[in-house]
Amino acid sequence: MHRENIGLRFDWITIILFLILVGFGWLNIMSASHMGDITNYFDMDQPYGKQLMFIMMTLALIVIILSIEAKFYERFASVIYLVSLISLAGLFVFGKNVNGATSWYGIGGMTLQPSEFAKFATSLAVAKHISDLQTNLKFLKDQLKTIAIIFIPALLILLQNDAGSTIVYASFFFVFYREGIQQIYLIIGVIIMLLSVLSLKFGVLPTSLFSALVILGLYFYKRKKQASILMPLTILALCIGFSFAVRNFYDHVLKPHQKDRISLWLRLEKDPDKLEQMKRTILYNLNESEKAISSGGLTGKGFLQGTRTTGKFVPEQHTDYIFSTVGEEWGFAGTTMVVVLFVALILRILYLAESQKSQFSRVYGYCVASILFVHFTINTGMVMGLIPTVGIPLPFFSYGGSGLWGFTILLFIFIKLDSNKINEW
Amino acid sequence: MAVTEKNILNRLYFVAGTMFVFVLAVVFKLFVIQFVQGEKYRDLAEKRTVKNVEIPANRGNVYSADGSLLATSIPKYDIRFDALTPSARTFEKYLIPLCDSLAKYSGKPSALYQNSLRKARANKNRYYLIARNISYSNYIRIRNFPMLNLGAYKGGLIVEQTTRREHPMGAIAHRSIGYEKVDSDGNVTRAGIDGAYGEEYLSGVNGHRLKQKIGNGQWKPIADYNEVEPQDGYDVYTTIDVNIQDIAHHALLEQLEKYKADHGCVVVMETKTGEVKAIANLGRNPEGYYYERRNYAVWESHEPGSTFKLMAVTAALEDKVIDTSDVVDTQNGVLSFYGKKVRDSKRGGYGKISIAKAFEVSSNTGIVSAIDKHYRKNPKKFVEHLYSMNLNQKLGLPISISGEGEPVIPHPDDKNRWSGIALQWMAYGYGVSFTPLQTLTFYNAIANGGEMVRPQFLKEVREFDKTIVPFKKEVINPQICSEETVAKVTQLLKNVVEKRHGTGHGLYSPNFSMAGKTGTCQKDYRNKEKLNYISSFAGFFPAENPKYSCIVVIHEPDKSVGYYGADVSGPVFKKIAQKIFTDTPLIDEVEQLEFADAKAEKDFETYYEVAKTYKTIMPNVVGMPVMDAMALLENMGLKVKVDGVGDVRKQSIDKGVKIAPNQTVVLNI
Repeated sequence: MHRENIGLRFDWITIILFLILVGFGWLNIMSASHMGDITNYFDMDQPYGKQLMFIMMTLALIVIILSIEAKFYERFASVIYLVSLISLAGLFVFGKNVNGATSWYGIGGMTLQPSEFAKFATSLAVAKHISDLQTNLKFLKDQLKTIAIIFIPALLILLQNDAGSTIVYASFFFVFYREGIQQIYLIIGVIIMLLSVLSLKFGVLPTSLFSALVILGLYFYKRKKQASILMPLTILALCIGFSFAVRNFYDHVLKPHQKDRISLWLRLEKDPDKLEQMKRTILYNLNESEKAISSGGLTGKGFLQGTRTTGKFVPEQHTDYIFSTVGEEWGFAGTTMVVVLFVALILRILYLAESQKSQFSRVYGYCVASILFVHFTINTGMVMGLIPTVGIPLPFFSYGGSGLWGFTILLFIFIKLDSNKINEW
Repeated sequence: MAVTEKNILNRLYFVAGTMFVFVLAVVFKLFVIQFVQGEKYRDLAEKRTVKNVEIPANRGNVYSADGSLLATSIPKYDIRFDALTPSARTFEKYLIPLCDSLAKYSGKPSALYQNSLRKARANKNRYYLIARNISYSNYIRIRNFPMLNLGAYKGGLIVEQTTRREHPMGAIAHRSIGYEKVDSDGNVTRAGIDGAYGEEYLSGVNGHRLKQKIGNGQWKPIADYNEVEPQDGYDVYTTIDVNIQDIAHHALLEQLEKYKADHGCVVVMETKTGEVKAIANLGRNPEGYYYERRNYAVWESHEPGSTFKLMAVTAALEDKVIDTSDVVDTQNGVLSFYGKKVRDSKRGGYGKISIAKAFEVSSNTGIVSAIDKHYRKNPKKFVEHLYSMNLNQKLGLPISISGEGEPVIPHPDDKNRWSGIALQWMAYGYGVSFTPLQTLTFYNAIANGGEMVRPQFLKEVREFDKTIVPFKKEVINPQICSEETVAKVTQLLKNVVEKRHGTGHGLYSPNFSMAGKTGTCQKDYRNKEKLNYISSFAGFFPAENPKYSCIVVIHEPDKSVGYYGADVSGPVFKKIAQKIFTDTPLIDEVEQLEFADAKAEKDFETYYEVAKTYKTIMPNVVGMPVMDAMALLENMGLKVKVDGVGDVRKQSIDKGVKIAPNQTVVLNI
């Protein structure tokens, strides 16, 4: 076990990808938030100035993360997870309400969003639990335990009215799948998604008829020996029941704005007047963001030249809608580059994760890749109207200290773990 | 476990595949938005909801030579209120203070404002008009009112600026200062200095501002700042001297009114540099009042009449075909050429006189016969000599890119214009045509020792205190004739005023010298009914070492009152000369007196030293002059009693003793 120069063992490809994303992200925040003349890059009254400070602090954070012993993260995973849960729970008492969500601690003039930090804490806990020798994901008991680890922070976040961040926790499914849960879960998952969409789009009755047709058809077609008809009937009943449940959930549980988003996405609203009204209100953001992106064309209007960006047409452009700035000012070339950077980063992490000797590191790597991936697709998808509007940031790009730090910690713990792999047996 | 390994690998591929599909969807959607829907969105969105509005740059000012403002742009502001922008809390908190402030500003009741602002908010009016066309100071005032002082994003303040061009000097030199007008079709009319230098210097570079449509054809600025800041125009400093301009304007006006003339103009030019110190153009409107209507001095080319005799005589002298002492026969005042007659204004003529006298009394027959005698065989020589003095060329003034009148001197080869009598008529200023400024430029060249300079209207173009473009004197012709000729004709011009027989002798003043030539030209002489006159006077002053040249031209004076150049135009010339003469300070050096004597200076120094040091402790004032001592002690709050005159010999409170205010001290002298 000889020690080499530590610096050489860090995966520099990942670090460079990270730096490019953060740097390019900052340029776009500057575009989206400047008010005419930029005289001082450190202007603390402007988002770009603050973000630059956040980035500086991030660099310090990276040094700290990388200098801590790799084993620390595995050993203290549970502690970190508990601290994170406490900080989430504490929001109910000390939290500050911003835009309807109680997700922030106000400390002095700054705000801190614990849900951004809960992501890496949960990832550590999941990795630790799965890599435990006594855990076998093939058993229901262990599956439930693992789900519970994810479910608790997700629930806390949901209760703070931050549905967007909650959805991110679904990304752990990729990890479980890779780590060997039964195929049936994947099938069930797909069926659930299909049923949900069908029930909302076409209604309960057509969905029920459709499922009956498929299930019974399969049963009679595949029937070779005398199998009981009870099984397919039960499944059918479950499907129909689920369809009802989805419809009810949509009609009675979802908040109006969430309903509207889904209704627009599935094109449920047929009344043109109402549709026009919706476009001007809830679709406003999306419309403006799509216009901004489309106005960029192939090469964009150039840095700081985007008229819709400088005109502040897209609300929240420097946070969740930062991708539209890229679209306007850097065009298709710029957006494609961002996509390529993210894909490269995620693939690199997956590749590194596969090459890990310790299961803890591998699972954690998968968690990182999945979380980044879900953030990336949901964010870019929503900015372009590919999926319903879900307010989550674009990793490394969007304005915000908590987000940036959360993702940085998430990524750099993995880089540290990866650098330690030659020390593993 | 081979099976598991393969299984795991498949799952890895599945995860990666799923991600790949999602990414593909993202890229596909990007492609659709940016290329397929792009055109549609760009056309629809950009044009309908956003436009780039030009913000006109502030036009530069026009100043006189001494820095008086001649033309300036005054910004005016419209203040509007976006009633939806302030939050409910802000609106409620500041509504009443804002309305109170507005009430105080406008005098309308506060309740009225409260009502209409609430209504505006209820109606979602994002463009409610608060004040229109207000001055800058009022704009600053309103901007600081409660709520509005929160700015565009929180307070809903919308400010729009417009500009108006104003002439602080009123009608004076209005036409020459000029303007730039744009009519509803976008056609630009430019006049004068403002028009001529508008595009190049005054206008600046316009900025841009994005505005967003908010319905009903109303557009609201998007951001707090301008996308492209306008660059203000430069200031233009003219050569106009406000005092001379003032006297020229009023002297001309007085004469026009006295003679009920149709129109007239005056130009005063600095001899050495060609700087136009004053230019006044007054024309009568149908109601009988005089206004700056057209720039006659630059635009109106007319037959000059007798003032042209200077050019004729100069050419002849220069060709050495005549001399001032040559004697000519005025032929009883009538000369005939091809049945046409040249007459003198004095019936019977002047007999046999020298050319000099013929010039001074402005004898038409005298000058015509001299020119006829020497150039009849070769008129080309005479005409080309005039050409060589640049008389057939425009002055090339920027002020009149399209407006300068064309000078006309027909050439003998030009059969359409030349005739048998052209030379003879030309000799006394008929059949040729010049603008007053062109005539003046020639007179100025004589005053300037033969150097012909281009009239200058601009001194410099400036941006604040920085000179951007200096305008230097421009020489048209470095020497139009020999110095000998200059000296001879200068003497002639002087004699016109000084000699008792001179046509301009009525202007003579023993106090200051002038030189010039009268001109009384018949206008519309082909029709007896319409016959009228153009009275002019051109010259320079002081006659020795001239500083200014000046021309006065008055068209169509009332014949019953008078029409001779000396009577109609001469007085204007004289008034200007007199004014400039009296305004020019005599250099009278006064030797500075040495007031300070050594003792007084030393006394002051001691006093000052003591006054600096002592505030509450009695100083030693013995030996000080009593006035110093008193001033010192009284400044310290003491009451001083004085006994005697001179220097202090004794003080009642000893030095170094702490003193109390209002204590009395007695000084023995």
